[in-house]
Amino acid sequence: MSFLQRNNVHVSGAGDTTIVFAHGFGCDQNMWRLFVTDLSSRYRTVLFDLVGSGKSDLSLYDYDKYKTLQGYADDVLEIVAGCATSPVIYVGHSVSAMIGMLAAIRAPELFAANIMIGPSPSFMNDGSYIGGFDRSDIEDLLETLDNNYLGWSSNMAPAIMGAPDQPELAQELTNSFCRTDPDIARHFARVTFLADHRSDLVKVTTPTLIVQSNDDLLAPVAVGEFIHAAISGSTLATVDNVGHCPHLSAPGPCLEATEQFLQKLGL
Amino acid sequence: MDTSHRPLVPISEGYERAPCGLLTTGIDGTILRVNDTFCRWTGFAAADLLDKRRIQDLLTMGGKVFHQTHWAPLLQMQRSVAEVKLEIRHRDGHKVPMLINAVRHIEDGAEYDDFACMLVMDRHKYEQELLLVRQQAQRALEEKTLAEEALRSADRRKDEFVATIAHELRNPLAPIQAAARLFGMQNFSDPQLAWSSRVLDRQSNQLARLVDDLLDISRVAEGKLEMKIEHVDLVGILRLASEAARGMMEAAGHTFLVDLPGRALFVEADPGRLTQIVGNLLTNATKYTPEGGTIKLSVRREEGNATIVVRDTGIGIASQDLASIFGIFAQLSSGQSRSQGGLGIGLSLVRALTERHGGRVDVTSEGMNKGSEFTVHLPLSPVQIDSRETTAMPASGVAGRLRVLIVDDSEDAALSLATLLDIDGHEARTASSGATALEVIPGFRPDVIVIDIGLPDMSGYDLARRAKESGAGSKTLLIALTGRSLMQDRQAAIEAGFQHFMTKPVDYETLLSVLI
Repeated sequence: MSFLQRNNVHVSGAGDTTIVFAHGFGCDQNMWRLFVTDLSSRYRTVLFDLVGSGKSDLSLYDYDKYKTLQGYADDVLEIVAGCATSPVIYVGHSVSAMIGMLAAIRAPELFAANIMIGPSPSFMNDGSYIGGFDRSDIEDLLETLDNNYLGWSSNMAPAIMGAPDQPELAQELTNSFCRTDPDIARHFARVTFLADHRSDLVKVTTPTLIVQSNDDLLAPVAVGEFIHAAISGSTLATVDNVGHCPHLSAPGPCLEATEQFLQKLGL
Repeated sequence: MDTSHRPLVPISEGYERAPCGLLTTGIDGTILRVNDTFCRWTGFAAADLLDKRRIQDLLTMGGKVFHQTHWAPLLQMQRSVAEVKLEIRHRDGHKVPMLINAVRHIEDGAEYDDFACMLVMDRHKYEQELLLVRQQAQRALEEKTLAEEALRSADRRKDEFVATIAHELRNPLAPIQAAARLFGMQNFSDPQLAWSSRVLDRQSNQLARLVDDLLDISRVAEGKLEMKIEHVDLVGILRLASEAARGMMEAAGHTFLVDLPGRALFVEADPGRLTQIVGNLLTNATKYTPEGGTIKLSVRREEGNATIVVRDTGIGIASQDLASIFGIFAQLSSGQSRSQGGLGIGLSLVRALTERHGGRVDVTSEGMNKGSEFTVHLPLSPVQIDSRETTAMPASGVAGRLRVLIVDDSEDAALSLATLLDIDGHEARTASSGATALEVIPGFRPDVIVIDIGLPDMSGYDLARRAKESGAGSKTLLIALTGRSLMQDRQAAIEAGFQHFMTKPVDYETLLSVLI
């Protein structure tokens, strides 16, 4: 099963139902550490790295396959079909929320629920739609990435400091977290920030929870409301949080919203 | 001067004027403390920042996204970040590049982030330069790859074109050569006609040689050159080749010296290709030696090699041409070569064929008009005795007056061959398709059927099988003709029951030798 190595898949936890966690642009599956702990006593958990991120097999980063989010969604389908025998709960952060949505549109029978944390169907402003960004902002982001990847490039010594007061964070984590090949990062940034899946929202049939921060630069409240309006039957939970990673900075409220939602679905 | 007891400024003053920007923020980024240095570098008064702005508010848009996707999660998970380079917006709008370290800590139950920022103006410029150079290198590499691919593709198309040309030229050549031969058999009383006939014969044969060379060189380029390696006596082959070349030497008024040892030198080689190597060298020597010159062919044993030397007293080679003389289409830069004709592929074929035998070819010349010496080194066989098994060849030869059926959809080729056979006392008929041939066979009862493999209505292989079923006896000699000379064609021909396989154009002498 090549996807196990390709996506650096880790399965653990106990339970009849499987939750698959997908990280967003920038970091890797270690993002879920704080969030997963509480759930792993009741659910089987599957964590993985998107190809091109974390400890995935970088040699399999196919610039053609991953020029759209569908390429990642196809990987998710392989992972879900290969790791679970019944429909899964999918938790996706940011761009991975859309990736999971695309996967569930293609094979709805494999998904019991889709939990979107800080999702955005399109980051670009377009007429009355306020995604939050213009094209020049994306160019600016690419420049910022370039500026940093000079120091972060894979053949230089790890630039990220260790964390002496956090012994549970292993050395390997400090070395790999948020680092990847600069060219892949550029490409992934472009694909992520230029993707537009607004028209796909209406195709969703999987029960969906949108976890929306009340102050998120990347996914403004209006975007969460837009998704909520477009996906019929979806649930919108707004959490008090500054930033794009509420599962890191406000894990409590995020978990609470998640568990409530799953309880209602009987999962 | 003793400075050890001089009191330092208070820590707070040291904080304010530290040579780096220092800030403390809440974990949402709200600036709670900032030093003078940071304020001076960014143009803000402390009052503009404290409790009013978050550190991410001072970043460019790209920096803000980066802060969300990389920096904040790192700080959250690792509680520290080092060497992040971001641009801070100066109050007046311009960007100030800074290298930032941050540490998260808990104080009385509340979490704070401490930042230290260094100006990196020069480093930033240097890095921009590096990035630019990297991009340029990337582009250059891409362009190089594209250009190489385009070259390779053009080269492949050239090879295919040369192969196609050679194949296409071969087909009309066969009937032209046969017709020329027919003319040659007439006793023309008109001397002009007799002369024309000789010209036609000579020139069509020359054309056939050029086309064969062209075909061979295209096979070399496409890696399709076939070799039939045998244990052969090189001396014997050189003797035959020298006999064949003697006429050409005499016609050019050259003295031809042949110095061959009395005993055999065995090599593992394709005898036909060896003949071609020597033939090309001798032709080359004849061509580039003015009338009345001396050409010498010799062979000697040198350690594990047989060394063939062809030396002439010809126009020689300028030292600047020596290195490229074996290149394809290479001709002498002197401009003299054109007048001698030729495609400039003879020597490149010599080199390719020699290398295919595991050998090496060299050339030396003392300069213009001082003659040339070509040397071919071939590895000697470890077995220096005649190990060939003299297997009894299948009795393919049939003697006397023969009935020959020629099946070929090229009417010119079939008719000219039939006419030559008629003149030599055989009875020849032609058929332009497989179906016609099958009609003719029962009544004609041919001794020999020459079949073109590429017939319009059926393959020559099928015709061979059906011919045997429809009354052509087991004694009927089947000869396959093909435009190509590929191993799989030969194999298919043998399987279909052909005893001989010839490539077009048919060399009439070879055909006769098979019949007799």
